[in-house]
Amino acid sequence: MTTMLRVNNVTKQFGGVVAASSVSFTVGDREIVGLIGPNGAGKSTMFNMCTAVLQPTSGEILYKQTRIDGLPPYKVAQLGISRTFQNLQVFKNMTVLENVMIGQHIQSKAGFLSSALRLPSALKEEKTIVENSMEMLKFVGLEDIADVNAGSLPLGKQRLLELARALATRPSLLLLDEIAAGLNHKETQQMTDLIRQIRDQGISVFVVEHDMDLVMTLSDKVIVLDQGEKIAEGTPQEVQNDPRVISAYLGADMEEDQAG
Amino acid sequence: MFKQNKTWLGYFAFVALVLILPLVVTKSYYISIATFAGIYTIVAVGLGLLMGYAGQISLGQAAFFGIGAYTSAVLTTQFALNPWISLVFAMLLPAVLAYIMGHTMSRLSGYYLAMATLALGIIIHAVLVEWKSVTKGASGLYGIPKIELFGFAFKQGVSYYYLTWIIAAIVILITINIIHSRVGRALRSIHGSEIAANAMGVDTGKFKMNVFIYSAALAGLAGFLFTHMNYSINPSSFGLDASIQFVTMVVLGGMTSVWGAVLGAILVQLIKIFIHTLGEHIPFVTSEFEHVIFGAILMAVIIFMPKGLFPTIASLFGKKGHRQTAAEEVQG
Repeated sequence: MTTMLRVNNVTKQFGGVVAASSVSFTVGDREIVGLIGPNGAGKSTMFNMCTAVLQPTSGEILYKQTRIDGLPPYKVAQLGISRTFQNLQVFKNMTVLENVMIGQHIQSKAGFLSSALRLPSALKEEKTIVENSMEMLKFVGLEDIADVNAGSLPLGKQRLLELARALATRPSLLLLDEIAAGLNHKETQQMTDLIRQIRDQGISVFVVEHDMDLVMTLSDKVIVLDQGEKIAEGTPQEVQNDPRVISAYLGADMEEDQAG
Repeated sequence: MFKQNKTWLGYFAFVALVLILPLVVTKSYYISIATFAGIYTIVAVGLGLLMGYAGQISLGQAAFFGIGAYTSAVLTTQFALNPWISLVFAMLLPAVLAYIMGHTMSRLSGYYLAMATLALGIIIHAVLVEWKSVTKGASGLYGIPKIELFGFAFKQGVSYYYLTWIIAAIVILITINIIHSRVGRALRSIHGSEIAANAMGVDTGKFKMNVFIYSAALAGLAGFLFTHMNYSINPSSFGLDASIQFVTMVVLGGMTSVWGAVLGAILVQLIKIFIHTLGEHIPFVTSEFEHVIFGAILMAVIIFMPKGLFPTIASLFGKKGHRQTAAEEVQG
């Protein structure tokens, strides 16, 4: 199995705080990998390093054979990695359709000049972008509200929109940041189905989740972080029965209870 | 696609209005004011794209305007170049300067561009005043030749009005095309969420830079038209107050639409006429009074109508402005 994403001995420090400590793992081709851990485990930091938003203090991150740590995020996207955002980042100033059309940005190439002159090539390209984008909207079930302003959508639909937008870049690796956060049971179910279909289309999926349920039902492999360290890796079954994982979660729950 | 048809209808209606105006308004004072409106429209359209779409503010647009004006003035008077050739340099020089500025600040983030352009405006104005061997200092350059086309000289008046507005109409058309394209969409996405735009593969830094260069080149073009409208130019037209007037035009009209910038440029000229007329009757209303008025307008619009006039009017007619307010940008 080819490796899509390889995180190699990655450490990240913020001043004295170690958010990741020599973490290594891989995401294989057509694999759904879940990254879980209690609050403050360093999931978001790890996610942000995989999308090149943050740079590791040491270690390396490779996509296929290319090092992506240190690259600007737009280049990482151009290589074939796409993502969604935990704190939703839909373009609120644009319609649902236009949001997905931005996803097609790297699939198209009209520049200032050909746009300014409305060259036939640019117009033809626009038509293709609209068609492809509508296809993506159909996939997530938002085609009926294509012309609605994206900012007016409820949270669940905004998550679907982000998924469609991310898919529109035609990625080989899709990174989902707490994609089920704030979704109700039915919406989570729909999301789970969609992620399976995405994988079946040949896209590798890396899911970062605070909530265990979605990860455990979907993942081929689960990685558990606690306080910046990888404490377990394996099938959902293996991970669930791992005593270190249980204590990490129970410990975290107890701390939360005390705090609450 | 429907939206696009509406845009074209608006565009042709506007062009028709511009063509008819000199048949209705014949007083030469008004024609020259309307010509200035066309020149400033060109600056405002570029600045509007920068502010409303790339989310950056330039407080030194008068510097690019001035460089365009002086480049053409110097080349045509001291080197006897044909104005059409000097036009190339009048647009190229501001563009290159914008490129260098944008490049050194590689990411053009936050308010750095506003600060840097503010400084640029002050420096360029000082250069125009002090570099006497080339610019002739505060008294300025005179004897600037008229623009000619196929032996026809565009003298001040109706012919120059048409020359200016035809060029302005082309600029508006090109800018609308850019907005309704992949490039415009990418720009709007940057304004919507820069982090998401980046994650979708949009090279946000490059797009912002290109808009900055475009706005500088347009200011240079406007400077060229300004120079050849007049027999002489001096640095007083290219100071900080001119830069602020450009920003006022964009904010007043609305920075999220090309038409906002056009409306703003025209309104500022109308306000000038109003103050001028007022000054004939009230002694303390001098041209200095303009600064007070423009400052007050700028504040009032930002507080009460952050989207600017055009989107506000458009929404009154039920046409939903498809761009979000620029207030987010102003309010940080």
